[in-house]
Amino acid sequence: MVHFDILIIGAGAAGISAAKAAGNAGCKSVLLVDRKPTMGGVLHQCTHRGFGQRLNGPEYIQLLRKDFPNGVSYWPNTTVRTVSNRKTAMLSSPDYGERIVAFEQLILATGCREIPAGALPIAGTRPKGIYTAGQMQEMMNLHGFVPEGPVVILGSGDIGLIMAKQLSERNISVTLVEKGNSCGGMARNQHCLTEFMIPLLCHTSISEVVGERYLQEVITTDGERLPCKTLLIAVGLRPERELIDSLGNPPWLHLSGNCNRIHPMVEGVVNEGIQAGHIACQMIRGDL
Amino acid sequence: MKHYDVAIIGGGVLGCFAARNVRRWKLSAVLVEGAEDVCTGISKANTAIIYAGYDNQVGSLKAKMTVTENASFDRLCGELEVPFSRCGSLMVSFGPRAETVLKKKLAQGQQNGVPELRLISGEQARELEPMLTEGATAALYAPSTGIVNPWKLGIAAYENAVENGCEAMLNTQVLGIRCLADGYVLETSEEAVSCKAVLNCAGLYADKVQEMLFAPSVRLFWDGADFLVFDRQTPAPKHVLFHEPEEKGKGLTAVPTVEGNLMLGPSRRPLEGKPWATTHAGMAFLRDNAPLLLRNVNTGQVIRSFASVRPNPHRVVYQNGEWIPDGKSIGSFVIDNPAPGFYSLLGIKTPGLTCADALGRYLAQEAAIFLDAPRNPAFDPGRKAIHKTDSHVVCQCEQITKAEVLEAIARGATTVDGVKRRVGSGMGRCQGARCFWEIEKLLEDRNRGAL
Repeated sequence: MVHFDILIIGAGAAGISAAKAAGNAGCKSVLLVDRKPTMGGVLHQCTHRGFGQRLNGPEYIQLLRKDFPNGVSYWPNTTVRTVSNRKTAMLSSPDYGERIVAFEQLILATGCREIPAGALPIAGTRPKGIYTAGQMQEMMNLHGFVPEGPVVILGSGDIGLIMAKQLSERNISVTLVEKGNSCGGMARNQHCLTEFMIPLLCHTSISEVVGERYLQEVITTDGERLPCKTLLIAVGLRPERELIDSLGNPPWLHLSGNCNRIHPMVEGVVNEGIQAGHIACQMIRGDL
Repeated sequence: MKHYDVAIIGGGVLGCFAARNVRRWKLSAVLVEGAEDVCTGISKANTAIIYAGYDNQVGSLKAKMTVTENASFDRLCGELEVPFSRCGSLMVSFGPRAETVLKKKLAQGQQNGVPELRLISGEQARELEPMLTEGATAALYAPSTGIVNPWKLGIAAYENAVENGCEAMLNTQVLGIRCLADGYVLETSEEAVSCKAVLNCAGLYADKVQEMLFAPSVRLFWDGADFLVFDRQTPAPKHVLFHEPEEKGKGLTAVPTVEGNLMLGPSRRPLEGKPWATTHAGMAFLRDNAPLLLRNVNTGQVIRSFASVRPNPHRVVYQNGEWIPDGKSIGSFVIDNPAPGFYSLLGIKTPGLTCADALGRYLAQEAAIFLDAPRNPAFDPGRKAIHKTDSHVVCQCEQITKAEVLEAIARGATTVDGVKRRVGSGMGRCQGARCFWEIEKLLEDRNRGAL
């Protein structure tokens, strides 16, 4: 069994920051794992600007990766299957198969996932054309997929707005539907509403989807029928931490980034990652 | 035009089992299915319960078949390597009216031969089932009730049928049927099929298929139901729980799926126009009634809702230019034989899943007698599940690997949903948002390779 002082699960903004903080603080035995082939997590698909000083996601990854300590091991293509209270983790990768790793400190940096359409009280059939906003962001920006318009986005938070802007830039018609009484996103993301004259229907939600094989229209809770070939769900994020459900709260476990709490800005994620890296490192040294 | 001894119309769980069982005889067979895959209708949207048999009238075909088939389900699922759990069920009362229903069902069940059926107190029920609410006064405990993955069962029967030499025509709609001196010709959206016997297992459309050749006798009137599936973070009960409400009407059913999720449903209701569409009223019924039966149910943990359609068979009479229902819905399975060599399963609903293999065996035997066919000594009832896994995790939530996905595709999945039904990818808490693209690409690669 391989042993590391610190195991960091997830190489997004939080995990990279934690690995750097621990490595630069002198911790020699750190393993960073991620299920994807490259570091960066969700930042890869964020082609919009707004990270750090007007960077886009991939540029911000480069910034994060700068001065990545040589001593830190990084295993890509690695899914963590289970973590046990005996301080071991079962890893799985097409590169090396199954491997059990023992650790002293665990930093969970697994990010978050989107609330899917199935979780919402939406009536109607289950046609093709319903995605979560982040899923569509990945499909468009990493895989070159172009959704069919008109598009309706449920939820006018930052992710909903970012997708609305991106679709509008491609001349795909977009309507935003928001349950609250005003747009939920940050001011800087709201500019696109006026720039592209994107309709925002407030105080309403999607009540029903219509279409047999393919989505045809959605009906709002006000009874308005909106023609719709693609529905994007952008109603919220849930921390991804089911991996540690059975562990309780052992002192060697540290949560950082969006798996700890949902952050509106990447800087908050980075800070938590750095903090987790420092704490784990100090605990290894016996300072804490 | 291709010639077969037997043509099976419909690739739901009934058609798949009919096809499997036809190959127990020396009969050439083809399964004709309109959709791109088998088990895409009622077979994928139902309670998944393997009933004990106390609900059915004493002496009825349903009662006999259900009790016998339930007893053989371990063997069947062993042969076909389908996940099955004999979890038992509790039919729970919360007052005196419901208790009399329980007592009636107990007597009926005992006469039907349901094993180990017994009435227990509310306290005993809560001991067996800690998730049960305080108010439960009594429960009818049926240890033989089970749960299965219904579409995996149907797909397994289909694979077994094909392995035993049954041919399959998917994406093939039956458009008309002609009667010849020595058999039938199915006009389809693809090549026509000639056969000596027809097994009509068209499910919701079985009446329409029969009426391509015969006058209406029994028609199917559809109603609908809604279901909710929960994240595994919400604990599932250990048993299937049926709420027998104090007021008239149907209560809630809570099912622990073989995958370990809590499923609530069905909420019976009229169709309201669109089949397969969930309704707010139905989903609200499930959400509102869940706390009456189950403690600590967080309806915020729902990850999926879906609707099912139920075909209710009615005899029909011709009146004022249309065929209208004559009396109440027929309670029994309707197995019709309108002409020599033509057999129809009309309106097979609960406990149709429990009895699918038996109904298939029955139809196959009828065809074998009609065609004077001997047994097929080469028939192998065994089918292997997908066991291949590797270290490349594609579906994070359910931890499904690339090897499993590829094997599902090799076995005939042509869509992301087809893969899902075979290996369970995308059934978890993100509902496929994270593995959809990778599976879509693997399907595309396979299609390119096939060209």
